[in-house]
Amino acid sequence: MLLGAIARKLSDDIKTFATMPVRTVRKWSYTVQAVRRGELPASEVLKVILSTIGATLVVLALLFPIYWILMAALSGSGSSLYTSESFSLFPSNPTVKPFIWVIGDLVVPSYSISAAIPFTDLAFVFQTPGIEILDASDYGVDRPSEFKRFLWNSLMVAIPTVLIAMSLIVPAAYALSRREFLFRRKVLFLYVLMTQVGGGLGVALLIGMYALYVQFGINDSKLALAVYYAATAVPFNTWLLKTYMDGIPVSYEEAAVVDGAPPWRVVTEVIIPMSTAGLATVFIFVFLTGWTEFVVAQTLLGTENYTLPVGLYAMVDEYSIPWARFSAFALTFASPIMLAYLFAQRYIEGGLSFSGMEG
Amino acid sequence: MSTVSRAADRIESVPFLTRDDASLLLVLPGLFVFSAFMLFPVLYLLGISFTNAEPANLFAGEGIVAVLTFGDALFVGLENYADVLTDGQFWNSFGVTWLFVATSVTLKIGASLAIALIVTSDLVRGKRVLRSLIIFPMGLPPIFTITVWRGIFSSAEFGLMNQLLTAFGVSSVAWLSGRWTAFVAYNVTEAWLAYPFMVIITVSALQDVPEELHEAAVVDGAGFLARFAHITLPSIKRPVLFASILTSAASFQQFLIPFVFNQGGPARANELIVVYGYREALSFQQYGRGAAISIIALVFIGAFMWLNVKKGKLADGVND
Repeated sequence: MLLGAIARKLSDDIKTFATMPVRTVRKWSYTVQAVRRGELPASEVLKVILSTIGATLVVLALLFPIYWILMAALSGSGSSLYTSESFSLFPSNPTVKPFIWVIGDLVVPSYSISAAIPFTDLAFVFQTPGIEILDASDYGVDRPSEFKRFLWNSLMVAIPTVLIAMSLIVPAAYALSRREFLFRRKVLFLYVLMTQVGGGLGVALLIGMYALYVQFGINDSKLALAVYYAATAVPFNTWLLKTYMDGIPVSYEEAAVVDGAPPWRVVTEVIIPMSTAGLATVFIFVFLTGWTEFVVAQTLLGTENYTLPVGLYAMVDEYSIPWARFSAFALTFASPIMLAYLFAQRYIEGGLSFSGMEG
Repeated sequence: MSTVSRAADRIESVPFLTRDDASLLLVLPGLFVFSAFMLFPVLYLLGISFTNAEPANLFAGEGIVAVLTFGDALFVGLENYADVLTDGQFWNSFGVTWLFVATSVTLKIGASLAIALIVTSDLVRGKRVLRSLIIFPMGLPPIFTITVWRGIFSSAEFGLMNQLLTAFGVSSVAWLSGRWTAFVAYNVTEAWLAYPFMVIITVSALQDVPEELHEAAVVDGAGFLARFAHITLPSIKRPVLFASILTSAASFQQFLIPFVFNQGGPARANELIVVYGYREALSFQQYGRGAAISIIALVFIGAFMWLNVKKGKLADGVND
């Protein structure tokens, strides 16, 4: 149900996006006609065009570092950022080699499945064919990166983080938003106090944490790391979701109660569907915590368990950075998040509006 | 839910509790996990700061007992604190940290307000597209963007910033080898990292400013600046103030930028306080000293947050 709603919104977004050029052209021609008929002063139109161009330039300038690094990835290992070639807007001979290096071989290995029929000597052995989707050596990449291992590690950290954190955050946010109970104010005050401290002071605590984790022998455990991430995510996200839920009119629940819905149905049928935006925001924030955190992961995890950010930074040398590979690695690592961000943007803006904050 | 309501019935039999107090049970798991992973390490850190802990003695022995006795580390009282507070290195780090908070927060608020005004301006078309593009950097892992900015400020002739300077006819700068040039680089990077968050909050605050106010002011002949000062600013003050407090806390705790750029260098001149504590402990193996520094940092950030929450009436949301 929740997923269905998100899917519908997504398809709306895609439709809007696809029809955008048509609508833009239509609007333009309408404007041009209005100017011709003399209904709209040309100076006004010029002002709009100039400020739009100005705003676009500002935005492009802000995003330039990302573009720069993308170009570095596409221009291949031949031109690192430190070569004497000056920067050009487009790489002279684009190559996807760094990306191939990152992804490496994509092979579905062949498995043999044997099924023995009981009480007989008969046994069937199936050999599934190995499927080779991408062979890195075809593109002249001999030793591909360990991206897939890091990816696996990262998923093994991020997924438990999200599961644990959501199961802690959602009930608490609901209770804080809708119920009046002992210590409610105290808990909220603590959470507001800790909102920002949660993630950042992890570094200050790192010494104590590192010592503790080593003592307990859980310093190289991905699950322990996931629980830690979930814990740091609790204050800010609980508070965020609580403020979001505050914005939902109580009358909906009252209507449901009048219709005879038990408390749990009020939650699943009214509160949860109506806080989709808040839930999506919190989901993304929590996922990002586990997906992109670096310092704690680097301190606690051993080489075998490196997550993507740690694996990425391991490529950085004191004096030189293999920029093409580095940025290809980083962009592959970040692209799913960036896509999710673009589509979830309306949710994030809605979820972050601090509707309960206006004074 | 049924467990909760059963517990609720039981709780009701306790005289001074009401049925609603059972909802505390929904909050407790989160509170417990948070305390276990944040508050307990703080206590442990506090303990370490009173000992002469270093890897050799701290990790001696195994199990719960060793945890409680801090291995074989010896209690040295306030020696670490006295040491740290008489060290010029500490005061340098302390000063640089506050300076960084002041400069970077000013830069962040200024830049984000400007950007937010641009992407909400009535004169600009395609605002939605611009806005989705603008928060793009938020989706990038910080370790990646910070390393990219290290490349931009590369001391080599060919870092992007130096190419820009040469294009304008200014000679190139060894950004990360000079104390103040590195400091400028930190500020620019921090501002770039923080602007998406600030812009999102400012934009949604700007959209809540009633259009009629502006129209009325235009009728009265108020110019852009007058309208900005008397209508826009007062209306967006609270959310922006809130975002500024969060972002100044982030600045105070900035770790990755100095760490990735030049390890807080050159010659430890720009070690922000968190970096300083981290390096004392994990690079120079002085766990006790590092813990003392971290505790001092924690006290300051705690006091700072507490003051802000109290003075800025941030907890007002708590009371409704």
